Parts: sequence; structure tokens; C-alpha cells
Amino acid sequence: MPETVIQTRKLTKEYVREDYHVFALKEADIEIGRGEFVALMGPSGSGKSTLLHCIAAMDRPTSGEILVLGQDLSSLNERDIAHWRNVHIGFIFQSFNLIPVLSALENVELPLNLTALKKQERREHARNALELVGLGDRLHNLPRQLSGGQEQRVAIARAIVTDPDLILADEPTGNLDAASAQEVLNMLSRLNKEFGKTIVMVTHDPHAARFASKIRYLEKGELLPDGRTPADWNLPAAEATSG
Amino acid sequence: MIRHIPLIFKNAIRNRRRTLLTVASIAASFALLGTLAAMYRALFWSDPVPGQELRLMTRHRVSLTQSMPASYEQKIRAVPGVQAVSIVNWFGGTYKDEQRDRSNMFARFSTDPANFFEVRPDVKIAEDQKQAFLRNRRGAIAGKTLAAKKGWRIGERINLTGDIWPVNLELELVGTYEEATDDESLYFHHEYIRESFPQRSARRDLVGLFWIRVDSADSVPRVSKAIDTMFENSPAQTRTESELAFGLAFAAFLGNIKLFLAAICGAIVFTILLVTANTVAMSVRERKREVGILKTLGYTPSAVLSIILGEAAVISVLGGALGLFLAMVLAAGIRQGPAVFQQLKQVYITPTVALAGIAAALLIGVASSFTPAWNASRTPILTALRATD
Amino acid sequence: MRIPFSYNIRNLVVRKTTTIMTALGIALTVAVLLSVLALVNGLQTSLRSSGDPKRILVMRKGATAELTSGVTRQAFQDLKFKPGIARDSAGQPLASLEIVTVINLPSVDSEAGMNVTTRGLLQPGIEIRNLKLAEGRWFESGRRELVVGKGIAARYPDARLGGTLKFGKGEWTVVGVVDAGTGPINSEILGDLNQVAGDLNRMEGLSAMWLVAEDEITAKSLINSINDDVKLTAQAKSEVEYLEAQTSSAAPIQFIGIFVSLIMAVGSSFAAMNTMYAAVSRRAREVGTLRVLGFSKGSILTSFFLESLVLALVGGVLGCLLALPLNGLTTGVGNNLTFSEIAFNFRVGPDTMATGIVFALVMGALGGLFPARSAARKEILTALREI
Repeated sequence: MPETVIQTRKLTKEYVREDYHVFALKEADIEIGRGEFVALMGPSGSGKSTLLHCIAAMDRPTSGEILVLGQDLSSLNERDIAHWRNVHIGFIFQSFNLIPVLSALENVELPLNLTALKKQERREHARNALELVGLGDRLHNLPRQLSGGQEQRVAIARAIVTDPDLILADEPTGNLDAASAQEVLNMLSRLNKEFGKTIVMVTHDPHAARFASKIRYLEKGELLPDGRTPADWNLPAAEATSG
Repeated sequence: MIRHIPLIFKNAIRNRRRTLLTVASIAASFALLGTLAAMYRALFWSDPVPGQELRLMTRHRVSLTQSMPASYEQKIRAVPGVQAVSIVNWFGGTYKDEQRDRSNMFARFSTDPANFFEVRPDVKIAEDQKQAFLRNRRGAIAGKTLAAKKGWRIGERINLTGDIWPVNLELELVGTYEEATDDESLYFHHEYIRESFPQRSARRDLVGLFWIRVDSADSVPRVSKAIDTMFENSPAQTRTESELAFGLAFAAFLGNIKLFLAAICGAIVFTILLVTANTVAMSVRERKREVGILKTLGYTPSAVLSIILGEAAVISVLGGALGLFLAMVLAAGIRQGPAVFQQLKQVYITPTVALAGIAAALLIGVASSFTPAWNASRTPILTALRATD
Repeated sequence: MRIPFSYNIRNLVVRKTTTIMTALGIALTVAVLLSVLALVNGLQTSLRSSGDPKRILVMRKGATAELTSGVTRQAFQDLKFKPGIARDSAGQPLASLEIVTVINLPSVDSEAGMNVTTRGLLQPGIEIRNLKLAEGRWFESGRRELVVGKGIAARYPDARLGGTLKFGKGEWTVVGVVDAGTGPINSEILGDLNQVAGDLNRMEGLSAMWLVAEDEITAKSLINSINDDVKLTAQAKSEVEYLEAQTSSAAPIQFIGIFVSLIMAVGSSFAAMNTMYAAVSRRAREVGTLRVLGFSKGSILTSFFLESLVLALVGGVLGCLLALPLNGLTTGVGNNLTFSEIAFNFRVGPDTMATGIVFALVMGALGGLFPARSAARKEILTALREI
């Protein structure tokens, strides 16, 4: 068993409104080891994104424990969490979320601005990351001058530029056409295999999930036991891109 | 912080039209603010022009319109520290058609020329013109600016109809002078007026003002006190003050200028605050999502805060700098305008005023954007990421 | 087809922070303009309302103010018996020989003191002006006694009833306060002619003469007859005409004030434009939808333009509210003809406020026109696609 990087125990996220309450996540226990590429699957509202957000410390669970890279996230304050995220996490969004006024290179450089690196080194790292995702010739383009697939590759470069321990991806292919999606998935797979990055990817596209080394299913806030698929697992293909 | 500067600048010019309008709006306000501040400085904080700090004015305690006996001159001259004393009288009167052409309203004084040059050694005049003035009882000298405005040449006939002094004067311009604070006045011999009164007239020997030069700036308070004490029990009590303070008394005449300037400046500052706050609020609202992105990359709330504050500061300092530049133009216009007070000739955007202006712009930028910036920096990541507008 | 007005109102309410901030900016600009207008208006009201066309001021030829004028006792004797001058109950002509000077009094506002007009007058001078005492009694001739205008009593601590002022050859006691409404006497100090002239060593060098004509028509002919009298070397003016000339005293403040408000208005228009552009871009999709529903480009333009006007109107009204407390507040400016201070009240009248509202609407119009036009020009599909 490789070193455990993510471990949750009875992780629960509960939303309480005036007259009803709902479990976005209910007592989820998951363990993910270093070097794994895990896909979290499930229909909309199944809690897969909530779990991902909790791992990235973007959301706080209502109860339960979560240890990421040996760190108890509930013990950190806002400032330390920000720093921790910068050092250990690379995040990839469905809608790319590049800063529109910054060039590809500057976008990738953004997380490095928080490190002690010198300007020259930051540039160098950012350029390397972009070359790695095959965009060495697009350094100075603004996001709107790139295709969707290219934008997502810039986002991947931004996620890996700090050499994080953990890459988290939230529907990374959700807004892409098939060919671009394929490229992005290949890239994630490569990051996992060649660079040994631990990746957790939320998706509801079964094709995307196949690139992962392990698939975990969620249903109505509950994490199904390892190896179990939902009984009515029969998602129509069209829904896979509905966000 | 320095690493965020490129992002701050790019954010600041992201919505070019909005930035342009905001900068223009702030610039308009700062043009005013700078001009008013320069006026305030000129009126209330200006350093005396070299030579000015050595000069005092003695007037009748009750009012400028009342006169003092000419014999005071000798007594004032005897006060230790006094170097020179000259008499000055506001003549008033009319030149041509003042009611219709306001450029015919200029300051005109009668004086005793020999002492006049003693009290004001900084008055620059050609030696031959000075001699001509001293010799010619009907001679007059005019400030260069005044002479230029009126198109006067040496030898010009200047006829004044008296009112306070009920005499009509037929003067001849014999020279022009230059002086830093006062180059739009006309000076002529008081003797000319005196002679026009009958021998027994009480007004022959009355004087409106004494202009005094002392040996050093340190003597000023002592000498002014000594003079006023000396005439404490005379029928005409005096008030002696520095030339600068004397000029201010005229400014007070327009009403409560300090309050007036302060109130307007207050209103302007508040307007700038509103404009900047509004712009930043609009920008932040549109970019909430980006705040979320930055936070996922590991930006702390305080980093986000400083990026937004920085953007507001850039915009407001830009507007402030542009405004101060416009203020320089306005100030130049004021210096060219009619000399309502001498001090208005000293309205300059000095480095101090400019620096204070830029500092104010910086402060306003930060203060106005603090609330939206703070709120954005405290927005939970997920809320920020979900924001669509 | 018109887009319902409530659409604009709701939108302004929804964006309330922006609305309030923009409106407040306009409000401040309006308030600055209104305070200056209120000051000028107050001065004019004060000077005009008290002018009586029957009252005539006689000064030396060429003099523009009593202070710089000079008349002799002989001239007064000649003038007093001109026909057309009204008479009092005892049959004496209502004519007063007067001396006017300026004394410096420490005021509430300025420690250095302000210049106050001091007038020595004859008994008829009181009746000429219909002066009524508010407090105390009139001065007695031969005594150093003074009666002060209400505005003076309020602003100068030394000049309250019972106070003493030092000028001329001794100390003077304030024995009465006169209420002259908004008239100039309100900012003056009055004493007996001979006592004042004697103390100032000016028994012969007096300032001016005041008289009352029987009626307005007689007043005109009286003025002409005095002006044509070569022996008198004097000129006569009706009080109305004389006071009118003094309203220019507020000209510097008026000039500065209007200049300041115009520049502030430029700034506020830009701010309003910003707000409206943001409104247009935020609601781009709505604009597209409205167009699909069949609203014309014109109605889109009108709608956004109206919204900007409403925004400015809110600012204008707020500005009036901000300026309103000034109403009735007493202030003073230096009179450029009398070399002394005139005290008067700020006046924020309906006409002043209307000016403020119009001023605000102009800012709103300038700020709203371009954004409204850009909203109207949007292509339906592009509009719908924008977020």
C-alpha cells in the first residue's frame, strides 16, 4: 500500500435551510494513496464536487475528519490554508477560469508570484510548464485568443507549475469538444504515469473516467463502497456535457 | 505586493471606458481640489516673499478708512529696529470709466517716494526712471504688468478723479517697476495731494498707512508691539501687523474664505470618494469569480485585498495626477486674472501641494475601495466561483 | 411601445448601492451650486426688498458709495427745501444729513475683526427709513450712544445691547437694537450725526443726504432737479438703484461658486455615465430579450435615458435637501461699495431649488445619453449572448 495522501472519515456536509435539510455528502470514508488517479463519478447533486471541494479546503465539512497530505485541514486558518493550497494543490476547473487580462504565460506564473522565486525563475518555470502541455508557441496569447482546449491546457500548466503533490480536476472536459477532451485526458494521464502525480478528477463522463486508475461512485451524497457501481448506472451520453 | 503590480495594472485598464471615465471624473475633481488647495496655501500658508518678512503695516486701529496724524512717522522711525518708514495712502478715485471697464480699476497709492524705495529695496526700477520719479511731483510709477495691461508708455497722462481725497490729479507716468508680489499698482507723490488742500485743512496732515521695514525678522513682533503701545493713549490708536497678515485682512473681506474653501474641498473629496468607491464596487462585482480563482491558486485574503486596493489606488492616483496637472493650468489662469488680492498672484501648485494631492489621491483610493475590497477578499471561494456577475 | 417605467425604478432599487453613490455625487454637486446661489439670492433679496423707490440718496458727483462721498452742511440747507420732499407730522422736510464711516469690530468669525458701517444721522433719518426698535431705546443727541442693526447684534459680541464700543474720542454705549428686516441698516451701527461727526473730527466733511419724496413720480422729478442743479454739484439716486449696484459684492463668490459647480458637474456626469454603462452591460441580455419581445431600439434608448434622468433627479432632490438647512442661516460678505460687511440670510427659495433640479437633470442627461445609445444599438443576438 503506497503512502496515503487523502483520508476522510465520516465526512459529512449538510445544508440546513428553513424547512428542509439536505446531505450534500454523508459520512464519506475514502482513502487515496500517492500516485493514484481517482475518478469520482455520479450524477448531478451526488456530492462528488463537494468531496473535491473539501479535499481542496475550498469548502468546510459539517462533521467528520479529513486529512490531506497528513494535514488536518480543520486546524488551519484562512491564511495558512491559502498557503497550503498554493504549495500542495493544483486545481483545474470545468470552465478553465483563466484571468482574461493576463497572457498564457502570466496566467501560469500567477501561483508562482506567491513563492520566493525570482522573476527570472518564475518565467522559466511557467514557460516549462506551458511547453510541457504543448503550448510553447502560445506564451503571449490572451485567453480569448486560444481555443477551449488550449485554454484548458494553460489551466493544467497553471495547476502543475508549482509542482504540487495533488492535482484536483472538476469536470475538466465538461466544456470541451471530443478531440480537445481527449488531449486533456491524455495529459492528465501522462502527469499521473510519468510524473507520479496524484490526481482526483470529478466527472460524469464514463469515457473520461476510463483514464483513471480507479473509479469511485457517489449517489445522493453517499460514497459507494470501492468497486461498487450504482444499480441504475446508465447515464445517457448527452447528459455528460450538461455541466 | 510588488509581484502583484502587473496584475493590478492590467485590472485597472481592463474596462478601458470605465477607467477613462473614472479617471476623468477624478481629474475634474482634483483640478478643483488642487487649485483650491493652492489658493488656500497662497492665502494662509504662503511663506513671505524675500523682503516681505521684514515689512510691517501700521494702520488706524478702528478701520482702514480712518487716518492717523502724519507726525506718527517720526515717532515710529525712533523705535529701535525700525530701518525705514514710508507713508502710503489708498487714493481710491476713478480712472476713466471704471463702472463700464473693470480693467480701469487698479490699486493706486500716494506715497513719499524717497522713503518708499527705502522700505521696499526689492522694487526694481531703472535708475533714471527712479530719479525722474523722485524729482517730478506729478510723476507716477506703475507696475510693469499694469502698464502692459493698459498699454501705457513713459510720458502717459493719467488723470484721476478723487473721492476719498476730494482732489483731481493729473499724473505723468515716469517709470515702471517690477516686484514679486505687487506689480499692478500705481504710486505717486503724496505731496501732490497735500498741496491741493488749503493750509488750514486738517486733512493735509493725515496719513492712511505707514509702511515699515525692520532690521530682522526677529524684530517683527517686538516692533509691532512697541508701535501699538506707543500710540495706546493717543486719539488715533494703531494696529501694526506683518505685510502678510495685512493682506489677509482683505481676503477676510470676501466673507469667511477659510470656511468657504474648506466646505467646497470637503464636498469635492466626498464626491471623489463616491466616484472611486462606485467604480471599484462595479469592478469587484464583475470580477468576483476571479477572486475565487486567485484563492484556489493559494492567494490569501490579504493578497486579494491588496490587489483590489492597489487597483483603486492606481486609478485614483492617475486621476489625481491628471487633475493636478489641470490645476496647474487653472492656477496659471488665476495668476493672469484680476488681482483681487495680492496673494492670488502666488497661486502655484507647489511641490508640497502636488505631493499632498497625490497622497490624498492615494488615501482616497484606498479608503473608498476598502469596503468592496474587504468583502471580496472575505467571500468564500465557492460563493465567489459560482458568481456569474 | 414604451417599456414600463417601473422596470427602470426596480432596476435602480436593485442596484441600490450604485444608485445611492451616483446620486450622492450629483447631490453634492447640486448642493455646492445651491449654497452659492442661496448666498447670492440672499444678498439680492436683502438688498432689493428693502429698496424704496421714494427714498433718495444724494452724494457728491462721481461718488459711487456713501463712504467715498462728501457733502457740506451748506448743500444740505439748500437741498432741504426743494419741492417734492415729503414732510413729517410737524411739517419738517423728511431729509437727513448723514456721515458714514467704517469701524472694525471683532466678530464671531474672525478675531482680526470685520469692518462695520457706522452712520451718524439726523432725527428725520429714522422716519425716512421707517425704523422700528426691537429692543432698548433710541440714542440721544449729545451723547455717545448707539443703536445697532439686528444682524450686528447677533454677530458681534461687543455690539450687543448694553455693550460698549471704543472709537472716535471715547466709549460708546449700545442702547438699542433696530430691526430693519432684510435692509442694509440691519448691518449698520447708528448714532447721532453731530456726536459721530465731532468724534471723527469731521464736523464739515459729511458723507451724504437722504430724503423721501412725496410719491414715486415726484421722486423722479426730484432726482432730475437735484442732478441738474449746478450749485449743488451733487447727484441723486433712488435707493433701489443704489442697492442694486451693491449686489455685485457677491460677484467673486458667485463666480468661484459657479465655476466650481460646473467642474464638479463634469465629474459627476462622468460618474453617472459610468454607472449607466455598467447598467447597460449588466442588462445586455435583458436588452436582447426586450428586443425579441418587440420593443424598438427607440424605446430601449428612451428607457435607459429616462433611468439616468431618474437617477439624477434623486441626486437633485438629495442636493436640495442638503442645501436646505442653509436657509435662513446668517452670513456676511464684504460690500465692495461700502467697504463694510453686509449681513444677510442664505435664501434657498423654490426658484433656487428648481435650478438645482434642472442642473441635476442636465448631468443625468449628459451621463445617460451615450450609454442609452449604446444599449439601443446592440444587435439582438450579440446582446443575448452576453452574460
